[in-house]
Amino acid sequence: MLYLLLFIFASFVVVLYRWRLAPFQRQKKLTRSQENANLVKVLLELDTDSREELFNLYQQQFGKNAARYARNTYQKWKADSVRPNKQTFSRFLISLPRLMSFDLKCEVLRELREAYCPRGEYSVTVSIDDWKPSLTPLVEEIIQRATTVQLPASLQRRLTWLAEDNTAVANALLAESQARESRNAMTLLEKEFSNIEELLDNAPRNTRISHVLKFPLGSIKVNIKRGSEDGR
Amino acid sequence: MGDENDDLIPQRQSLFPLNADDIVDNALQSLDEQQAKEVTKKAADEVVKIAVEKRKAEYRSDRAQEEMRNLISNANLLDEKVDDFKINSTFETATGTTSVEIKKSKTNTTLIIVGVVLIVLLTLLLIFVKW
Repeated sequence: MLYLLLFIFASFVVVLYRWRLAPFQRQKKLTRSQENANLVKVLLELDTDSREELFNLYQQQFGKNAARYARNTYQKWKADSVRPNKQTFSRFLISLPRLMSFDLKCEVLRELREAYCPRGEYSVTVSIDDWKPSLTPLVEEIIQRATTVQLPASLQRRLTWLAEDNTAVANALLAESQARESRNAMTLLEKEFSNIEELLDNAPRNTRISHVLKFPLGSIKVNIKRGSEDGR
Repeated sequence: MGDENDDLIPQRQSLFPLNADDIVDNALQSLDEQQAKEVTKKAADEVVKIAVEKRKAEYRSDRAQEEMRNLISNANLLDEKVDDFKINSTFETATGTTSVEIKKSKTNTTLIIVGVVLIVLLTLLLIFVKW
């Protein structure tokens, strides 16, 4: 009986281990065509105006029929129900960027930065009346990350236009912009925590609060405890 | 002749590799007038965009404050009238999302857990005794 229980326990551990490992193994096995599909998907995350500018440029370069097909299919590319072929990838991410306006190139680069730059994900528990010393260094780290982070070398090797002069300038501009956005968030936090403090002071005792701070290149999950003087 | 000699003088070079600022400076210098104009325009657009986003965030914060006050009054009402309740709420705020869980329960969760563990242990004991 004991052996049976041990066997069931061991099987459970093995299954759990394999199940947890599976997503990482899948990540490693991305084919070139999947990588291309992901890049096209990132490009199609552009806001409506920028996407329209992209399709217009596509039409100018590759003709009305190709543009019509792209417009009709882009939702399917985004939803992964149709995988873009090599020619589509090459048109969108190799040929067009060299012809894009600086503005559009910046927007494409912004999407690529958000999708491919390593993100800072943190989790921290703070007290409502002593949150600043815990959060400030993490926010500063995320701001620093925005100014120093680089797109992966493998991506830079594939998309050679990323090495062009105006792309380097676009990258610096976006880095500064994302750092400013993060600094703004820090100034808005005072008000956020004052709202949360009001909630904790007036809500029933069994109240749990967490807050997820979102930045362009990272996030911080903050679990909030009541003030230490409450003794709770 | 003098010019040729000048060419032979070694240029002073920094011992340190280029840093990110140098790369951007070099890139800026190599842009033509039109490209430089586009960069200036985009930089101005970004400043405006950041200011607009900040205003929107402040608005979200005010709205979240109002919603949180409503939640407090609803939860306090329930607290007075009901023995068991649980409220889960999320608020889109200036800097992200705030999640709130308020619950009240007369049944003691710890007692339930201890009870379940005891039942499992007793069952196992009975099985062992039978074997």
